[in-house]
Amino acid sequence: MNSEQPLHSTQFTPNNPLPQEGLMPDSIATFEPEIIREMDMHIAKFPVKRSALIPLMFIVQRERGGYLDPPGVAFLADKLGIRITDVWEVATFYSMINTEPVGKYHIQVCRTLSCKILGAGAITEHCTKRLGIKPGGTTEDGRFSLSEVECLGSCGTAPMLQIGFDYHENLTIEKLDGILDSLP
Amino acid sequence: MSTELIKVTINGNEYQTEKGARLIDVCREHDHNVPSFCYYSDLALQASCRTCLVRIEKMPKLQTSCTVTCTDGMIVTTESDEIEKARRGMVEFLLANHPLDCPVCDRGGECELQEMVFDWGGLEERFSERKNYAPEKFLSPMIGNDPQRCILCKRCTRVCDEWMGEDAIEAGGRGAHTVIGTYGGWLNCSQCGNCIEVCPTGTLLDATYRHQARPWELEQTVSTCTFCSDGCQVSLGSRAGEVMRSVARDRYVDGINGEFLCIKGRFGHPFINDEQRLRTPLIRYRKGGKLIPATWDQAFEFAANRLKEVADKHGAESVGIVGSPRITNEANYALLKFAKELVGTPNYGATDAFSLVPFFENLSAPLATHKDIRRAQTIILIGGEPEELQPLTGKQIRQAVRNGGAKLIIVNSTPIRLNQAASQFLHINPNTEDAFVLALTDESQAASSMKTLGIEAEQFDAVRKLINDTEGTCIVMFGGELSHAAQVALTGLPAMMAGESRKFLFHPLPIYNNSVGVHDLGLMSGELSARDMVAVAGEGLHAMYVAGSFLPEHLQGQEERLAQLELLIVQELFETETTKYADVVFPAASFAEVDGTFTNNDGLVQRVRQSIAPVHQSRADWMITAGLAKTLGMDFDFQMSASAVFRELAERIPAYNGLRYPQLKDESKPVQVKHQISERRDTSNDMQTLRERVSQMKPDGEKIMTTPNVGHELFKPGTLTSKVPQIHLLAAGNPKPETVLISPLYQITIDSSLRRDEAIAAD
Amino acid sequence: MRIEAIGCEPNLIKRFALENSTRLDVVRKHGAYDMARKAVTTMSPAAVIDEVKKSALRGRGGAGFPTGMKWGFVPKDSPKEKYLVINGDESEPGTFKDRYIYERDPHLLLEGCLISCYAIGARTCYIYSRGEYKYLIDILDRAIEEARAAGFIGEKLFGTDFSCEMHTTTGAGAYICGEETALLNSLEGLRGHPRMKPPFPAVSGLYGCPTVVNNVETIAAVPWIIEHGGDAYRALGTEKSGGTKMWSVSGHVKYPGVYELPMGYDNLEKFIMEDCGGIPNGRKLKAVIPGGSSVYIMPASDIIGKKVLMDYEGLVVAGSMVGSGGMIVMDDTVDIFESTKNLTEFYKHESCGWCTPCREGTDWLVKVFKRIANGDGRIEDAQLLLDICDNIEGKSFCPLGDAAAWPIQSAIKKFPEDFKKHLVPMLQQDAIAAD
Repeated sequence: MNSEQPLHSTQFTPNNPLPQEGLMPDSIATFEPEIIREMDMHIAKFPVKRSALIPLMFIVQRERGGYLDPPGVAFLADKLGIRITDVWEVATFYSMINTEPVGKYHIQVCRTLSCKILGAGAITEHCTKRLGIKPGGTTEDGRFSLSEVECLGSCGTAPMLQIGFDYHENLTIEKLDGILDSLP
Repeated sequence: MSTELIKVTINGNEYQTEKGARLIDVCREHDHNVPSFCYYSDLALQASCRTCLVRIEKMPKLQTSCTVTCTDGMIVTTESDEIEKARRGMVEFLLANHPLDCPVCDRGGECELQEMVFDWGGLEERFSERKNYAPEKFLSPMIGNDPQRCILCKRCTRVCDEWMGEDAIEAGGRGAHTVIGTYGGWLNCSQCGNCIEVCPTGTLLDATYRHQARPWELEQTVSTCTFCSDGCQVSLGSRAGEVMRSVARDRYVDGINGEFLCIKGRFGHPFINDEQRLRTPLIRYRKGGKLIPATWDQAFEFAANRLKEVADKHGAESVGIVGSPRITNEANYALLKFAKELVGTPNYGATDAFSLVPFFENLSAPLATHKDIRRAQTIILIGGEPEELQPLTGKQIRQAVRNGGAKLIIVNSTPIRLNQAASQFLHINPNTEDAFVLALTDESQAASSMKTLGIEAEQFDAVRKLINDTEGTCIVMFGGELSHAAQVALTGLPAMMAGESRKFLFHPLPIYNNSVGVHDLGLMSGELSARDMVAVAGEGLHAMYVAGSFLPEHLQGQEERLAQLELLIVQELFETETTKYADVVFPAASFAEVDGTFTNNDGLVQRVRQSIAPVHQSRADWMITAGLAKTLGMDFDFQMSASAVFRELAERIPAYNGLRYPQLKDESKPVQVKHQISERRDTSNDMQTLRERVSQMKPDGEKIMTTPNVGHELFKPGTLTSKVPQIHLLAAGNPKPETVLISPLYQITIDSSLRRDEAIAAD
Repeated sequence: MRIEAIGCEPNLIKRFALENSTRLDVVRKHGAYDMARKAVTTMSPAAVIDEVKKSALRGRGGAGFPTGMKWGFVPKDSPKEKYLVINGDESEPGTFKDRYIYERDPHLLLEGCLISCYAIGARTCYIYSRGEYKYLIDILDRAIEEARAAGFIGEKLFGTDFSCEMHTTTGAGAYICGEETALLNSLEGLRGHPRMKPPFPAVSGLYGCPTVVNNVETIAAVPWIIEHGGDAYRALGTEKSGGTKMWSVSGHVKYPGVYELPMGYDNLEKFIMEDCGGIPNGRKLKAVIPGGSSVYIMPASDIIGKKVLMDYEGLVVAGSMVGSGGMIVMDDTVDIFESTKNLTEFYKHESCGWCTPCREGTDWLVKVFKRIANGDGRIEDAQLLLDICDNIEGKSFCPLGDAAAWPIQSAIKKFPEDFKKHLVPMLQQDAIAAD
């Protein structure tokens, strides 16, 4: 999964005018052909390659252990013909793009009003107790990360949380335990 | 642009203004103070600081005056209780998380936020919460960063993108956690430091000047930069005889470069007070001996006697006088006078990197100023690499393309960085620039030149079409790659391609700050060039008087030849390869210590002003020459005044006729010298030479495919720039230090392995 | 969770209850794409825009801008490519209606897109959804594939020269990207900062080309308008606000869910207390935020017995707004100080950081709220909060600043007691209690 190949400075030249060794990520990520095909499908949607940046960041993040690692960033810049800083500025803007490693299961508890008044606090507290981490933390085994996030558009089925992209709604403590127990 | 006039009413006063004018500009023009941070003329609009709010009738909310273009009958209020509350509110917001550490902030005293708070701040601070914290750190050896002080006006990111085309510094994060920074936290750029210049607060800091002085202690002297031929106006801040910094901030100086400077102009000044500066005149009493300190009188006496001896023995022609494109027009003029009137030798020259004499002799169109470049429709760049060698020109080209919609044609054997902005890039074979000029100026040769150039005919036709389609100004720029014949051929271009709606301007790209000046004075037109003089040293030429030093391309590894001279007089700032062979060395004053003028690549004569007294015993170059002349019995009658030298120069050099220092006083209105546009001469000989030259070119040699690293010229430690310790870090590849919290200079010992060879050509 | 129509026939949601309603063959039997065929083969683009203008359909994303008028701004003679962008960023707290359109009837949205593209002369439509809606984007992608295979998307549709391509794309967690120009930036792969207006997207939007940005629900209403005519749609609602609207109801009600109501539904009290089953556990209604977190909060006293009409004008009269129709109902266990703090934290987190008042203001507001919550409240803090809000409101670059200020302004005004009890320092409170 985390295959890489050494980065040749020339790879950056047409797009990145600042190819200075040592400051760039020292390697560039590589992906299986079907992943590249998936990326190309997104790029093909737009007249301007850069538009596919966000969808591609999700793919790179998915394929490289949940976050944009430096080789992944280098790949994106190269693939879309943009600069490393362009990837950086966009990646740090969006809360779903991780620039730091996260656990295998990223538990995101909605903390906004509707969920809050229906008991989101208790859900977070239970996660904290059960996993032994605070919101923003990751368990030592790297299995779980816990975050409090803003409204996920599931207010009618509050309280709720998302693990990765999966919605878990109408939560109770028992249901939450069931969900956590069932994770492979 | 329409010039239709419309009426706007501001605070009850009616003004006429051009349709489409920006409201904030109109307000300011008529002294209605509208504050702003993010608005910065000639940069993309931002409208984010919200301090320029005004009330416009018939609009529901307060409007940002930076985004509004005036319409006829617009009624504007810039002062009211409502607006005052809004402005005070914005300043209060900006101060909320801004640390109140002005006493230790380098920008304190010249900080725009301070000024804003002085005008619009509240008496008490209502923000009693904990401020967001971020540690002070370094973004590069040149640039310090205190993120807490940032008010996110994003001038820096826009300047980096729009001026420099580098996008090295960007905003990351979101909301209150937005920070200005870069990927990996270490700046990988040309280190121009313009982000520091435009920063209204102390967020981005000059890391070399950090905590060295307070702005109010500094005496500001407006002068002209001594590094490249662009001639940027700088303000030298000096304290107690030491130059502490060099800035272009427009409150001090308003020159052709606005607030632009490059790494050399901004950070290159430490050579001025470097401890290696020559302190006294030096005499080598016998060949092979040591240089021994002497008094000025002794040195003059020694030099004069020996010079007289050589002239008497071998004749005046055996004496060579060498000026320098690094020193002032006044200094070069004194040398020229010395050669012509005192010694009477035809052998005078200057140590410029390449000669533009054929170009100037056949000049067929005026020189383009940097303003012209910004407004050009088409720019042809043949050879050269302005982003490294003439950074201001590079910036103007970039803006012309980006903001002015200019078409840029690049003809180069290297894919230089500026290519990003180019509409057409002719990637030619190395050393075939002449063939391009031939193809352009002699259609019969176009087809056959394609193979030599290594390009397709369609590409060339597209370039020709771009030029022919130009409506407006077409600027032809060229570097040192062109041969003499090609320079002459190129001057034929306007006659061939100019039209009613199309005019041509030239913009040569010489390397040095006064390259054009030495050509204007005729110093490059002596019988023997600097290179020739070295070649015949000891054979026909027995004495030489050199201001500055020879470049490697003049010496060509034959510096031993200098030892053959009976007498070598050198005036220099430092000991160099040339002073090694000198019999007498005079310590010269640097540009910061003298009055004078430089002529830049626009043909603008700009003032150099004395910022500090000459260090040690050094003297201005022209004074040294005049002193030596006096010892030889000739009074140059300069009355110890640079302005008198210039007056005489202006009387004798036609292009400078009528110029006096008072006319050059205002750096915002620079004066262009009147280069003579020559009548079209028969250039068939030159064309023939060019054809032969091109026909002998072989389309061999592989094309250079890689874009050169940023700073490959800028970061080369030269005689002057090597005195900046940080340059050595950059030259060594700008390694990211272990921590960015402590100056990289303290972390990385500059051991001898990191020190790069001095490349005299580089600065 | 309920999804039903009250006070009208199910129009938008009529196919929601079908089994396998996301499948093309299922919804085809119920008329999917017939209206697209009708519009493209029998009507001129101008006629489609006319019908939409007649329908008094207004943007369902929150601003309530008349849709037909927006379409009319697109320059007809522009040589540039034109784009339709569907705003499915749905991040307004309390709003989850678009989600069910994606989930239950994606072809309704696609049909609406086809008709809208035809009307404005766009050949390309991007459906931008918030990044969290991954499973919905997958549904939509499948629906697009089906529709393309069936010849409803692609070149030369319905035997005419009309061609239309549709693509899904995604945000990545930024509320601000619900603002149309920020969405366009995000779609171009940039940071989601709003753009300066003018130029409006209809003139210069995506890639500098004329672009219409519409909410999912708005576009989903278009097929009905074509089927029954603009006048019929308007007749469903009121003179100024035509048609029906989907309300997302959450919080302390017995039956939270998505309800389709005619515009001008009479009245809010009846809707909450009867249609949504009232307040559970025998509690009393305390407050309602009727249109997503960005609108003014309404105390029960402004609703009970007041016959508040549920349309754009009626709610303004009652002191709030329709917004996105995300209704959050709060019973008397809720401390309005806490709820306001919660929303302010939301706005601070989602402020893009572009302009001073919103970036620094929301940060400051949260700090004050936190300090008060920690028991360090001062009595003058209420005034401070109001003043900060006043310095944000109307001065920020985009409406997010206003949206952050309004809940606080209305909460302090309508529920002064809830604030006062936090503002008096703890010790004093004890003293009051001891009295």
